[in-house]
Amino acid sequence: RVSSDGKPEKFQPPPKPVIIDKQKQRAERRFLSPEFIPPRGRTDPLKFYIERKDMIQRRKVFNIPEFYVGHVLAVTTADPYANEKASRFVGICIQRGGKGLGATFVLRNVIEDQGVEICYELYNPRIQAIEVLKLEKRLDDNLMYLRDALPEYSTFDVNMKPMSHLDHEEVPVNKLQVRMKPKPWSKRWERPKYNIKGIKFDLPENKMKEAQKWSQPWLEFDMLREYDTSKIEDKIWKEVSEGLKN
Amino acid sequence: MMPIWTKSGKKHAVTLLKVQDCHVLRYISKEESGGKTSKLLVGGKNASPFFKSESAMEIFKEAGVPRKQKVTTFNVTDDAIIKPGTPLYAAHFRPGQFVDVTAKTFVFLEVFQGLGKFFVSVRDTGESHRVLICILLYKAAKVYRGKKMPGKMGNIYRTSFGLKVWRINTKHDIIYVNGSVPGHTNCLVKVKDSRLPTYKDCNKNPPFPTYFADGDEKLPEDLYDEEIFQFTDPSVTYA
Repeated sequence: RVSSDGKPEKFQPPPKPVIIDKQKQRAERRFLSPEFIPPRGRTDPLKFYIERKDMIQRRKVFNIPEFYVGHVLAVTTADPYANEKASRFVGICIQRGGKGLGATFVLRNVIEDQGVEICYELYNPRIQAIEVLKLEKRLDDNLMYLRDALPEYSTFDVNMKPMSHLDHEEVPVNKLQVRMKPKPWSKRWERPKYNIKGIKFDLPENKMKEAQKWSQPWLEFDMLREYDTSKIEDKIWKEVSEGLKN
Repeated sequence: MMPIWTKSGKKHAVTLLKVQDCHVLRYISKEESGGKTSKLLVGGKNASPFFKSESAMEIFKEAGVPRKQKVTTFNVTDDAIIKPGTPLYAAHFRPGQFVDVTAKTFVFLEVFQGLGKFFVSVRDTGESHRVLICILLYKAAKVYRGKKMPGKMGNIYRTSFGLKVWRINTKHDIIYVNGSVPGHTNCLVKVKDSRLPTYKDCNKNPPFPTYFADGDEKLPEDLYDEEIFQFTDPSVTYA
């Protein structure tokens, strides 16, 4: 080859390939369990620090997996009155409540046409094991409307096998729209205060418009209700990850 | 308030009390006070020295201690006198002991409370049912002592008796006390050994007269009661 100058072109080596390790990129995703974040109040932060030490200590001995509302879990608890001194319950997590050591989660299942909900404490020493059987997030944070939904949406096989899931992948979101039993419901789920996106409302248009009367559009602009947890979360995440490493 | 689990799997609710800069301020002898036993003045929680008169600050100057927010008296036997100026720590109490806690009660509304508690009805009956009609029945010809009358509710000293001490944190000076305690969050509280007759012989070998930090005894960071489930153990099983 001859360049425009007339001299032979110097050999240009091809550019080195840049290898982007996708596994390492995805592993940066971090999850802080919601019960670590302290509620807004006048309590001394020392109390939350001491509670967190106890929680980290318990997590070192007993593995509490990462789970969200909508996951299907199997919990084995020590029961003095059961046959093998241990009872196992499988259900979908419909609510995670409480902060600190008293954090709870509610599992729901329909067994022999009877809906059963059990509220477990995360840090109760009687819990022997928590296994995640199915990983999927739902559109809402609170699935209490499953009580008024058709029972097929709350039934899960008690002998379900755990689903495989890779650590670095994102938790999939199930955009399922649930069909409800006829009204009356336990709560008026169509009202905007519950902000439910996971129900397929078959109500007529005028009912949906009437429900919008109870909307409070000023709530999202209320500055006194703002609770920015990003900095608190960062500090707590560092503390928890260092505590769990040791 | 925090949950605590025992080794049998039962859950109890527990209040955390922090011992913040407690010092002994003065010793008052039996003859001086005029009571049956001698007294010790104890102060807790440092406060700013600028908002009190010189005469009020005298007690703190004598003891060599910053000004305290709250000063209380404890009736003490003659063999348990402590020199003024010694600090008091949470390790003064031990797990398994029983304790009385006194504090000023919580005030929900700083408002004159009428007779809303007397006549309770399902529907809003209006003023006619919330008016004090008579203060006594029968021919007593006097008003009983402690008669419930309208007035402001709360902000009075009340004690909860016989509370068990589950755990003590010597590093941060925290006492874990069973059940609830009068007062709002972060209020000042007086903790004493229980005077109930069932718990008279409960405390064996307490630190007498108190726990001295510069003494020979080196305590671990956390002192637990025997029945508490410690989070370092594996999960509870019923074998």
